[in-house]
Amino acid sequence: MNAPAAPLQIEYKNKTALVIDDFPSMRSAFRTALAAFGLTKVDMAATASEAMIRVKNTSYDIVISDYNLGEGRDGQQVLEEMRYLGMIGLETAYLMVTAESVYERVVAAAELAPDDYLIKPFNADIMRARLDSILAKKQTFSKVYRSFSEGDLESALAGCDQLINGRTKYLVDAMRFKGEVLIAIGRFDEASELYEQVVKLRAVPWARLGLARTMHLRDKSTDAEHMLVDLVGQYPELVAGYDLLADVQLAQNKFTDAQVTLKNGVDTSPRSLLRQRRLGEVSYRNGDLTTSENAFFAAVNKGRYSMFLKPNDFANLSRVYIDKGNSSDAIRVLQDNRKLLQESEEGKLISSVMLGLAYDKSGNKEESTRLMQEAVQLRQAGADGNPDLLLNLAEGCLKTGFHDEAAKLVSEVARNAHDSAHLLDKAKHIYQEAGKPDVAQEVIRKATEHVITLSKQGALKVQRGELGEAVKVFLQAADEAPRNPRVLMNAIWVALRLMEQDHSQSQYLPRVQIMLSDVAYVAPDHPRLSGLQTKLRAVEAALGYKGASRRRKG
Amino acid sequence: MMEARDLYAALLHEMKNNLVLLTLTLDNIPHDGTKEHDGPLDEARLLGQRVSERLMQALFLYKSEQGGITLNAVDAYSPHDLLDELAVQMRSLNRNLMVDVVVDDDVPPFWFFDRNMLEMALVNALHNSLSYARKQVELRARLREGMLAIGVRDDSDGYPAHILEAVAEDRPLQSNGTGLGLRFARLIAQAHHNEGRIGELRLYNENGAVFEISVP
Repeated sequence: MNAPAAPLQIEYKNKTALVIDDFPSMRSAFRTALAAFGLTKVDMAATASEAMIRVKNTSYDIVISDYNLGEGRDGQQVLEEMRYLGMIGLETAYLMVTAESVYERVVAAAELAPDDYLIKPFNADIMRARLDSILAKKQTFSKVYRSFSEGDLESALAGCDQLINGRTKYLVDAMRFKGEVLIAIGRFDEASELYEQVVKLRAVPWARLGLARTMHLRDKSTDAEHMLVDLVGQYPELVAGYDLLADVQLAQNKFTDAQVTLKNGVDTSPRSLLRQRRLGEVSYRNGDLTTSENAFFAAVNKGRYSMFLKPNDFANLSRVYIDKGNSSDAIRVLQDNRKLLQESEEGKLISSVMLGLAYDKSGNKEESTRLMQEAVQLRQAGADGNPDLLLNLAEGCLKTGFHDEAAKLVSEVARNAHDSAHLLDKAKHIYQEAGKPDVAQEVIRKATEHVITLSKQGALKVQRGELGEAVKVFLQAADEAPRNPRVLMNAIWVALRLMEQDHSQSQYLPRVQIMLSDVAYVAPDHPRLSGLQTKLRAVEAALGYKGASRRRKG
Repeated sequence: MMEARDLYAALLHEMKNNLVLLTLTLDNIPHDGTKEHDGPLDEARLLGQRVSERLMQALFLYKSEQGGITLNAVDAYSPHDLLDELAVQMRSLNRNLMVDVVVDDDVPPFWFFDRNMLEMALVNALHNSLSYARKQVELRARLREGMLAIGVRDDSDGYPAHILEAVAEDRPLQSNGTGLGLRFARLIAQAHHNEGRIGELRLYNENGAVFEISVP
């Protein structure tokens, strides 16, 4: 028999803590309790926004947050925003406090879970014990976390393996973290194997979700879908399961199924702006304007409290209003949020384009022409937006007689999305509406022709092993379609392979770095992205390049 | 109808918040070493925790009658940590009591269980032992027939025969005092299952009263 282990002595004296709770009496009770543990530096936040400001200015060792923060964001959203935006690192201990027993079902597989949680009611001893054990774990994982945040993923993996081989109580935690690192590196097969091992130990929801995620990343969407349907059937509150299931269904072009899945996710947890936005997008695509309107409306509404709100959310909502013939609602929402939209060039462009379309719909041709002119000028001055917005602008141009501008926009979008059936269809639709279906075909053909030819040439040269020549061709394609994720990624991949084989070709490195950050901007969720980032780091290391960029988790 | 449900939820929410406040407030009062002060303080703290415990049990039983119990938070936890966490609570409620933690050598460093649920069941046994133990309580983790068994042993006279029989024969337990807590512990034990095996609650007298929950 073991003697009782010496209790882990955690030194609290020099630690800093932030308490987030909307009740003043609860805040002060936490403060007193933390003071009894030895903490002297304890800050308070009554709201999510206050917490964000605190975290921006100070780095805390410990964050204790209530799940229920009254109006606006809940504790889980605060945690997700802080982690997602890199405002708190892996070394910060996050303890969630909740009276909702449903929370543990939310957290069972959340990608961004707190380090631990306390269910109310609880006492000071339990709180202390939970904090002790989080901090002890942070100490054990500190080297792994440091390697991870410095982008040294191989060392992070080695650290995980060491913890796994040590067969300590942290074995499963180490496996969980290793799975995330493997996914970040793009080693999906190994990640799958790892999750299978965990599932063999016990079919815990996060491991099943991880397994499904790696299946999806390995293009085994059917398997992933079966797993996820089972999983959310068994754990209906597991919102992360709906999000991934929707990804998997979209990858198989099952748009109706994806809409149903996202709707289930939204019904389970209506507060997430990102999920509402996705539901809006998918249902809009499915032509379900009612669902789309509700979702975009909710996104804008939730967004009032969220950093995830983007100017484009107003474009989405006003677009649905216009399609439904409610141009006055579109005008109202754009005017009500004018101040916010005027803060960025993209917002200004959105404001002009969408107001222009709304006035056109309401029959005010004079105002819509003026606004479209304004939008074209903004665009010429460099204002940018996503492809959908550019197509909205093209539509407005066609309606107000700016035909050349419309053709230019459509051709730009087509060049940068030569393989996106969705965007090309939309472009055709705009011209069809304007009574010029043949023009669309011609504009798209001309725009994509050269990019497609160059891509084919490049691929042929790769097949023949002429990497040096292939790089030149792909870079030419990238010049023509500087925001086309597929073209960029092909160019990056070939250039990296070339440099890998021939270290004297390092002249391509700066260009590759820029292109990769462009891809990360236009297609942040692309499954190939993390693999290319890892490959870039390996090539940088091989070429002796110093100052590898710091990579954030997620 | 919906309004009554919302009101009920809001009341519960507030009750839980107030219980946390009460508990933390009591926990934040320092001991001064005198019997007159520390005695009532410890009693008040224990009472505060018992009220919390009963509330959680009531909610749990209500839920179990609504649609059975499913465990939502089964994950890998250290049995040793669980015992340490319980021992700390026990020691802080009665500083004269000797609380020993024993983990058998063959107990793995982690096991899969619902920590909050298991802890709730065990805290109930601990509170019982606080009332009956003479000077010593032992918390022990061991392997029993391939299951992780967590036991609470106190040096009291042991459980009365009618309770031992009721638990052994899986008969209904009375709905007050010890019986209520045991009913609750049995439900939690049985909600744990793995590879066709189901967790169980055992009570026996062996150098005192032993309360033992096994999870597969």
